[in-house]
Amino acid sequence: MISKGAKWIGWTGVLMLVIVFLLALIGPYVVRHDAEKQTGMPFQPPGAEHWLGTNDMGQDIMAELVVGARTSLTIGIAAALLATLIGTAIGLVSGYSGGWVDSLLMRIVDICLTLPFLPLMIVIGVYMGPSLITQVMVITLVMWAGKARKIRAQTLSLRSRGAVLAAQSMGAGHFYILWKHIFPSMLPLVIPQFVQAVNVSIMMESSLSFLGMGDPLSKSWGSMLFYANSRSAFLTEAWMWWVIPPGLCIVITVLAFSFIGYCLEERVNPRLRAYQAASLKGAKSAVKAALPGTSTADLLAVESLFVRYPKENSTMTAVDDVSFVIKKGEVLGLVGESGSGKSTVAAAVMQLLKPPAMVEQMGIHFADRDLSRLSPVEMRQIRGNRIALIPQAAMNALNPVMSVREQLAEAILSHRKAGKQEIQERIDQVLMQVGLTPRWGAAFPHELSGGMRQRAVIAMALINEPELVIADEPTTGLDVKVQVEIIKLLKDLQQRLNLSMIFISHDLPVVLSLADRVVIMNQGKIVDQGQTLTVAHHSTHPYTRRLIDSIPRIRTARPLQEQR
Amino acid sequence: MDGSWFSSTFGKKLIQYVLVLAVALSINFALPRLAPGDPLEFFFGESTINELTPEQRQRALHELGLDRSVWEQYADFMTGVFHFDLGSSIKYGKPVTEVLADRLPWTVLLVAPSLIISAVIGIVIGAYAAWNRGKRRDLFFLSAMLTVESIPGFWIGMLLIAIFSVNLGWLPSFGAVPLAFTGGTAEYVGEIITHMILPVITITLSTVGGNFLLTRSSMLETLGQDYVYMAESKGASKRSLIFNHALRNALLPVYTHITMSLGILVSGAVVVESVFSYPGIGRLLYESVIARDYPMMQGVFLIITLGVIAANLLADVTYPLFDPRSRSRAWSREVSSSKQIGEETA
Repeated sequence: MISKGAKWIGWTGVLMLVIVFLLALIGPYVVRHDAEKQTGMPFQPPGAEHWLGTNDMGQDIMAELVVGARTSLTIGIAAALLATLIGTAIGLVSGYSGGWVDSLLMRIVDICLTLPFLPLMIVIGVYMGPSLITQVMVITLVMWAGKARKIRAQTLSLRSRGAVLAAQSMGAGHFYILWKHIFPSMLPLVIPQFVQAVNVSIMMESSLSFLGMGDPLSKSWGSMLFYANSRSAFLTEAWMWWVIPPGLCIVITVLAFSFIGYCLEERVNPRLRAYQAASLKGAKSAVKAALPGTSTADLLAVESLFVRYPKENSTMTAVDDVSFVIKKGEVLGLVGESGSGKSTVAAAVMQLLKPPAMVEQMGIHFADRDLSRLSPVEMRQIRGNRIALIPQAAMNALNPVMSVREQLAEAILSHRKAGKQEIQERIDQVLMQVGLTPRWGAAFPHELSGGMRQRAVIAMALINEPELVIADEPTTGLDVKVQVEIIKLLKDLQQRLNLSMIFISHDLPVVLSLADRVVIMNQGKIVDQGQTLTVAHHSTHPYTRRLIDSIPRIRTARPLQEQR
Repeated sequence: MDGSWFSSTFGKKLIQYVLVLAVALSINFALPRLAPGDPLEFFFGESTINELTPEQRQRALHELGLDRSVWEQYADFMTGVFHFDLGSSIKYGKPVTEVLADRLPWTVLLVAPSLIISAVIGIVIGAYAAWNRGKRRDLFFLSAMLTVESIPGFWIGMLLIAIFSVNLGWLPSFGAVPLAFTGGTAEYVGEIITHMILPVITITLSTVGGNFLLTRSSMLETLGQDYVYMAESKGASKRSLIFNHALRNALLPVYTHITMSLGILVSGAVVVESVFSYPGIGRLLYESVIARDYPMMQGVFLIITLGVIAANLLADVTYPLFDPRSRSRAWSREVSSSKQIGEETA
């Protein structure tokens, strides 16, 4: 799925391309004049006979444009095709074979990319003599290397995919794998590369022709401008019809390919789609109906939360009518497989869901306020201050260009004014609490191990002494020994600081050991909930039973075994 | 900056640049000898060699060493280059290096301000568009910048001349200073500035699209990163999210691109300087192509290659100032040796 804007851009590009191709294809049958012959008076303004007027030699400008369209498109497409083919072949071989072949080819690519391309084209063009072939070759020469590098990167990521590894382990030949597995999945990536190459090479062709390096026997838009410039078109009124049309033709053609290329690129490049602006329509948070009066003992009460995502023609419900409460000082375990909607619940509580997510709820009550009705500013004051999140991806949750101390200080300063001294003291204190010596504060994230980074993230969550902490799979991506340490730390901190905590995990034994109550989610719905011990020992829900039965017996399962 | 860092990252880069230079020099050496036609023409120009007697021809070939083996010639050529001897310009009748030294400052004068203006505009609008991704203003700036990027620089220049020089008569369209000039230093500087305006606008317009697109896509990537989500969940302000977290990281590749384009721009100025007859390196290349002044042309190609390499080096050397991950590894070594200390308090 691509955004509406990209689609609009893509179709505009297609429309412009159709116009240019029509000019090139049917132009010769519509325009009556020969571009090479003098068919009128010099500098004739546009009129019935010469639609776009004539140049200084009395040649028809419209006829020249038609010839130019053919030249530019031919050179552009031929050079782009050649460069893409060579680049793809080299990129595939380099990425697939690896080792010294890869290093050698990539060094050559690096060198080609560093050489200044325009002077190189000019110098080679001068020695080889101007002609269509020279232009195509020179443009290909400067473009293949960039393509090779992009294709290589994509080959590398394809090479490690399951189907390729499987084929390799079954003894398939290299050629077979390249042809059957890598090339087909590469094709959707190669096409935008080709389209983008066309616009670059048309631009290069016109620049070369403008510098007088084009084929003197075939007119192009660039060479029309070369003559206009060198024969001082500006001294007469003629520049209006002599200079503007060929330039516009170049712009429309290059733009057509770059619009289409952008649209195709967005379709295959997921990282360009990762982020959507907030407060876009569709990201509405609808309150269904307020229910008065929640019990004051509840710190947080989520009532009837729905989260939906648009999907082709229907919607996908990620969170389906979820309600739960958490009391002060309580640990609530939220358990489910990946994709069961538990992280979405956490993001919804924090009001951090972005479009295209659609959120509906009766209310998310926190300390007598409905979070879903707060303004963005009011919510910002609560986030990280009264409710803190320990997010899933500890390895990437810290900003790589800021030191730990800077990031901790920012967490404080986002919520209150404080003196330097006070901030530093608080940072030292919280670092010690999570088991880091204060001097690690000066370190940048990449200088810390995974476990240390997660400790820093926990420190950031605790630094403003929040009333509620949401720990969203806080041990993902850490090795087992560190996981145990982090869980121990959280348990310890929870007891010492009497934290209220929502602990989200797929790891049932861990949750059972930490939580006072558990909520079990499956496919967006709460399927079972209750006091930890009750759920562990007496649940009759089939899904809960399956989860509990799948816990390896050796560890914690003795009481459960007795049950069976 | 310790030894291991130097030998790994930086050393590799240096080897690459030396190779680039070698390739550029070899192209310079090989082209006149491989190209169809009389090699002597490439050294003295067409008109001169037509007047030579066979004996003079023979002597010229001998003096240039063209009658010796290719390897000897190559060695001679390289020695010459390292003594800054690039031969004599046919058109100017002066050593190539002297002409280059005259022209280089003018190009720098055009390229430097253009680069700064284009970087600032591209980054600001790019970041703004990314933050408003998918909204109407993002779409507007995206299509506008793609359009600006599709306009050939020389055409922008021609239109600017037509409008501001010919029709309105506000600004000069030709050269860097008036041909005949009488006046004080202040007026002279003023003339230089008015002559700069149109070329600088042209170069700025033809590079701003690239800076915009790179900033926008880089920013979109950082906005989707976990650390921006974390910063938002700790209650950081919108301003801090954009500037401290997303943009500061997004600018890393943009910085490299802009610094490196300093070198590429010198060659990009070929087109713009030709339109405005601006006496820089680019115009020099164009003139020597038209005059078939081969030694001059090779000299320009060489100096542009050197410029590109210098810009790349500058990017490599200054990058660690902005990205702590590429700074010295002293800290991390300390980390690994003292990791136990950090963790024992746990």
